Amino acid sequence: MTNTSPTSAHSPLATRSAGPFSRRERWLSKVMLFFEDCIKVPLFHCQHCGECILSHTGFVCSQRCPKRIRNGPCGGTGAGGRCEVYPERMCVWVLAWRRASLLGRLKLLYRVEKIHDWNLEKSSAWLNVFTGRIDPPQWRVPKEALPVAAAPENPAQDPQGERTTHSTQEEVK
Amino acid sequence: MSLRDKIARDEFVVCAELGPPQSCDAAVIRKKAGYFRGLVDAVNITDNQTAIVRLSSIAAGKILLEEGVEPIVQMTCRDRNRIAIQSDLLGAAAMGIENLLCLTGDHQRFGDHPEAKGVFDLDSIQLIAAVQQMNAGTLLSGQVLKKAPDFYIGAAANPFAEPLEMRLIRLEKKISSGAAFIQTQPVFDLDQFGRWLELARRRGLHERTAILAGVLPVKSLKALEYMAREVPGMRIDPAYLERMAAAAAPQEEGVTIALELIRALRAMPGVAGIHLMPVLWESITPRIIHAAGLAPAGSDLRTDS
Repeated sequence: MTNTSPTSAHSPLATRSAGPFSRRERWLSKVMLFFEDCIKVPLFHCQHCGECILSHTGFVCSQRCPKRIRNGPCGGTGAGGRCEVYPERMCVWVLAWRRASLLGRLKLLYRVEKIHDWNLEKSSAWLNVFTGRIDPPQWRVPKEALPVAAAPENPAQDPQGERTTHSTQEEVK
Repeated sequence: MSLRDKIARDEFVVCAELGPPQSCDAAVIRKKAGYFRGLVDAVNITDNQTAIVRLSSIAAGKILLEEGVEPIVQMTCRDRNRIAIQSDLLGAAAMGIENLLCLTGDHQRFGDHPEAKGVFDLDSIQLIAAVQQMNAGTLLSGQVLKKAPDFYIGAAANPFAEPLEMRLIRLEKKISSGAAFIQTQPVFDLDQFGRWLELARRRGLHERTAILAGVLPVKSLKALEYMAREVPGMRIDPAYLERMAAAAAPQEEGVTIALELIRALRAMPGVAGIHLMPVLWESITPRIIHAAGLAPAGSDLRTDS
């Protein structure tokens, strides 16, 4: 897999792919997904991206966006916060913003979300947290300003900067 | 002087926009380049805007370079996955293209191929970060580049879509990821633009990036009405609609409105330049630039426009 490259771990954008799913993991994922769906589908209209960021987006699933933007919203939100592609729907990012403000979780919307790892599509995010493929949900709203909000002028000089909060988890494992 | 140098020196910047043709006719691009040469600092080349197939933005950028006009190539995430984006960008850098505008892209549903598969592998913010990383010498895979590109990265912002606070969060994310300049959607509502700019200034964002305000000269009432109705996330002050409806010569009124907007935007602290978008009316550019007093010394107004 791609993670054999020695530099990939240093990339702020690299998804942390722990290699392909084993047969056992695939099976486990299916079982877990059944239980996960029972909660996440009725509550959040989960789209099974396998890389859940619900805790960052005010518990509104961002993957319902027709462009599947992980750092939304796009520039086309219409009057009253309607989706530009399907005007009969609300923009999920407007909903995320509303609910995040309500829950006092606006700060988490400042995070730059990682590029999606499509290997994780239709897998269980719970299992992926457990196996260390993805970051655990961030329940607590950070008190201090998020690293990304206070990023240096030129992020190229400090590519690790905005990911420090994630990598600590990784190193513990 | 390149766009990068001019922004670094805090000089007022003028960008324009060029839509490539729906054919392989390079002469169209060369002709349009003539309207911009020597008058504007750089010209955006749209990447299949509104999801309609047009000549490639990178190829058009190369043609503009040959014509002596500095291009800003737009790159959207709608049509390419991360492999194609990085490959195209390496190709663009190899051909001497320096400026890049990173966009998510209009949804394919609005275009001429509504049944197409939208890729959206990355979003605009992730694209900015990816390009920033390529500049630093690494691909997304971690592969080290023997020769790294040196793109000057720009991004778009829409001060007119809701909700305002979310717009600023996203603007901040774009700047933190590496956007050195920001081009806004066309301004037709100065109050709303002022509110957005005020919030951006309060966060100090105008100091971390160059904000170029969009100005779109309209040819007719129909064009303005179309934008008000069809373009998502647009906000148009009804006063402009009334003025266009009442005007005896709509084209002249369109130019007057554009000039008024330019004057008002120049006076706003935090606006580093304007981005002129004469959609399907590129020929008006020289007149507007001259009338607004933005033309560099020594350039004269060609009458054939």
